[in-house]
Amino acid sequence: MTPPLLSLLVFTPLAGAASIWLLPARATRHAAALSMLLGLALAVAALVAYDPAGARFQLIERVVWISSLNVYYLLGIDGISVLFLPAVALLFLGSLVASWRAVEDAPRLHYSLLLLLQFATLGIFCALDTVLFFVFWELTLLPLYFLLGRWGVSEGSGQAAVRYFLIMLAGGIPLLLAFVILAASQSVPTFDLMALLAVSLPRSTQTAVFLLFLLGFGIKVPLVPLHTWLPQFSLAAPGSLTALIVGLKLGAFGLIRFAIPLAPDAALDLHWLLAGLGTVTILYGAVGMLAQSNLRIGLAYASICHVGLAVLGLASFSAQAVQGAVSLLLSFSLATGGAFILLEFLRQRTGSTDIHGLGGAAGTMPLLATGFLICGLAGVGMPGTSSFPGEFLLIIAALRSYTGAGMAALFGLSIAAGGFLALYRKAFWGPVTRSAVADASDLRPREWAVLVALIVMIVGIGICPGPWIEIVRPAAEAWAAGLVR
Amino acid sequence: MSSLSEVFWSEQAALPLVLILQLLPLFGAAAVFACKERPTAVIAGKIFALAELLLCVVVVSHVNPTLQALQLAERFAPLAYHVAVDGISLIFLLLAALLTFLMTLYGMSRGMISPGRLFAVLLLAETGLVGMLVTLNVAWFAAFSALELWSVIYLLRRWASSRAEIQALARFVQYQVFGWALFAGGCLVLGWGHAEATGGLWSFDLFDLIGVIPVGKFQTAAFYLLFYGLAVRTPLFPLHGWLPNMAQHGLIAVAPALMVGVKVGIYGMLRFVLPLTPVAVEYWQPYVVGFAMAGVFFTAALAFQQTNLRRLLAFAVVSHTSLLVIGLFSLHQSGIQGAVLLAANFGLAVTGMWFIVGFVFRRTGTTELHELSGLFERIPFLAIAFLSFGLAIVGMPGTPGFDAAHLALEASIDRFGALSTVATALGNVAAAGFLLWAFQKAFLSQARAGGHDVDKTLPMEYLVCGIALAAMLAIGFFTEPWLYLTEAASQAAAARFAR
Repeated sequence: MTPPLLSLLVFTPLAGAASIWLLPARATRHAAALSMLLGLALAVAALVAYDPAGARFQLIERVVWISSLNVYYLLGIDGISVLFLPAVALLFLGSLVASWRAVEDAPRLHYSLLLLLQFATLGIFCALDTVLFFVFWELTLLPLYFLLGRWGVSEGSGQAAVRYFLIMLAGGIPLLLAFVILAASQSVPTFDLMALLAVSLPRSTQTAVFLLFLLGFGIKVPLVPLHTWLPQFSLAAPGSLTALIVGLKLGAFGLIRFAIPLAPDAALDLHWLLAGLGTVTILYGAVGMLAQSNLRIGLAYASICHVGLAVLGLASFSAQAVQGAVSLLLSFSLATGGAFILLEFLRQRTGSTDIHGLGGAAGTMPLLATGFLICGLAGVGMPGTSSFPGEFLLIIAALRSYTGAGMAALFGLSIAAGGFLALYRKAFWGPVTRSAVADASDLRPREWAVLVALIVMIVGIGICPGPWIEIVRPAAEAWAAGLVR
Repeated sequence: MSSLSEVFWSEQAALPLVLILQLLPLFGAAAVFACKERPTAVIAGKIFALAELLLCVVVVSHVNPTLQALQLAERFAPLAYHVAVDGISLIFLLLAALLTFLMTLYGMSRGMISPGRLFAVLLLAETGLVGMLVTLNVAWFAAFSALELWSVIYLLRRWASSRAEIQALARFVQYQVFGWALFAGGCLVLGWGHAEATGGLWSFDLFDLIGVIPVGKFQTAAFYLLFYGLAVRTPLFPLHGWLPNMAQHGLIAVAPALMVGVKVGIYGMLRFVLPLTPVAVEYWQPYVVGFAMAGVFFTAALAFQQTNLRRLLAFAVVSHTSLLVIGLFSLHQSGIQGAVLLAANFGLAVTGMWFIVGFVFRRTGTTELHELSGLFERIPFLAIAFLSFGLAIVGMPGTPGFDAAHLALEASIDRFGALSTVATALGNVAAAGFLLWAFQKAFLSQARAGGHDVDKTLPMEYLVCGIALAAMLAIGFFTEPWLYLTEAASQAAAARFAR
């Protein structure tokens, strides 16, 4: 009997959240840190236990949940999801460190909500039953609503929280509908992803399901024109929270996991829609970034731009594209997540992340400035960083299938890189004009420990991407092979 | 036409359980009334409410949910007494008993005047509710309905203290008497139809009536009278005019919870209207559903306009009741099952919210949204409970609303197509909108200087909300037994409309 590794992993944050309320108040942060470290260890254990050469889905746990509806508590991972688990664990640790001293208001509630969010996020990556997936998917909203509404950093954070909640709730409807349609179209209604993947549906059903998925996941990705919540969110939320939302591309994961494989014929028919949305998203994100003066919103647009590239690449439906997309999304967790965490450090010191409130920040905070530059360059796909392999694979895939769109994507990415460097220059270089910047101190040991870990990973994966991409490869090939019937 | 069947109590239990179920609260009401305002009255009231809840559990354990037949049936011909239960009525019975029990706890924590009298009336209202849920005779249903209405009217009258309250009461009485009269008229049409068909033998028993279903205009008339009678009671848009005033000015929590906590209107439609007027139901189905869809959005829009938390909740009720009707009138097994479970979910959730509004009122003396602020700091548990109940109404996963909404969606896709289903589901988003908005204003906003001094949460408040919350989460994560309980009964209800 092997231990139920995935259940242990998923429920560790929940146990951590419970322990916060049982332990004395001063142990709150340490309890949270401990449970996140334990989660990281379990995520690494899952990665070690996963055998890339083995079956498609591994570490499967199946328990009947609602037998009359044929709903199971069904967990499992494949090469696509396995790497996300340590990424989630790392990112949450980073977020915890970024908010270590910042949360003075009801820290117990704050950290238990953060752990609840981690629980739901890990569940999303592990769930292989569509109902279970949906439960986890919606469960992310509650902690996010509170974290944003109560610990937001701008005037309108309450409004942003309601808006985010409602938009995501509306986005959940098409998803639920798609899952119900999928289940109802089987001879015996089932929500088991593996069973759903095994049967082929009529083309009209597939089209409906695919469009519903595209709408539901497209809001979360976000694809232009469904992206309007993101800039507001990134302004209202502390960087430690935005790092989680922007760093973890749940929407893109949903497209890879559900939308395309479950409706392959429709996806192939509607490849132009996927590619078109991807291209528009890249260009819009790049141009949108140029217009920003706030680093947080600028980074949000940069991430919109890059996730557009992942979608465009996916529209070529090749194994390389999936490998590229997964590795780009993972690199995002590190790079964008890291950049937002650094911006949170910056905001805590200077009270601003707007270029008008900064200027010359590199002089007083060299470590922070260097770290932000590395994370930012990784975010725009600089060679030698972890984003480059994924971006390279995606651009090749895009150029091969959609030459024009691929060229446009290259153009968009160059604009985004230029936009980032321009913002960086204005914020970090030049003379110091603000007293807040002049008085700011550089990173504390705890903070730069996180930063060093991130940079080591960003550069390490960038220089030596082989092993990571190899973990994804068998699953990606199975994914691409499943589309051709 | 599927005929009805029943299993007598003597085959399933040693005692006529359903009779005891009805007599216990009646006896309790008498006992508490006799105690006057002595402290024992309060204790006795709680004990009777708890005993009724336990008895409901015993009844559930004696029923076999896999049978489509009505069970634990009892008949006594001279009084035309005929009762039985099935999975659907059991859900409502459990809910009624649980809510009454919670109300007895709540009544204490609010520190109301003359609690003895309050508890006696509460148990009397429970008698009416239980009677409505078990009887198979439309005339008995109407009689129990009158008993329950009288109890609520008495509650509103006895504890009314201002002109606005008297006005709300007058409005309430006008609506309810009118609705009751419509329903009674429908009963007469049915009974008369039976007399016509059998040569002068009047009967109001479901088993008799189903054999001689009225035809043509008679059926339409019966449908209209019964449906609108129940629609006032439910309340269904656009017949909901009594609820907002009553919610705003009536006794907080107890009065609205008694009227809309247990959706006897929905139950009555399912038990009597659907089987007795099937042709009219199918004919008028698109209109009913159309009105309900309009109702979801219209009342949601009205809810956004409210400045008073109690009125806002009233509109929330009307909005989600419309969803129940859509599920019911899908005339599809999943839809009916979903509607029943949703009804229980909404009942529990909205009663919980009303309790919290009562607790807030006790502290601040107001439920005006612009006067409330920063409550989260002082009463975090109640705030989280309020939000959780709100999310249950929206059908968040982990609450009973989720699986129920899921079933209703399935039926709705099947019967009305994906587009109308999406439109209806968006109604839920609207509900989430105004509930979150209210939550934000009352609980999350910065506490204003010179605001109310708010006490910490009391143990009794923890208990009331804790029980409701625990029940909700337990049902939400372990839906299986409830689906099992209602499956056969909803199949039986939908079988008449199989396509």
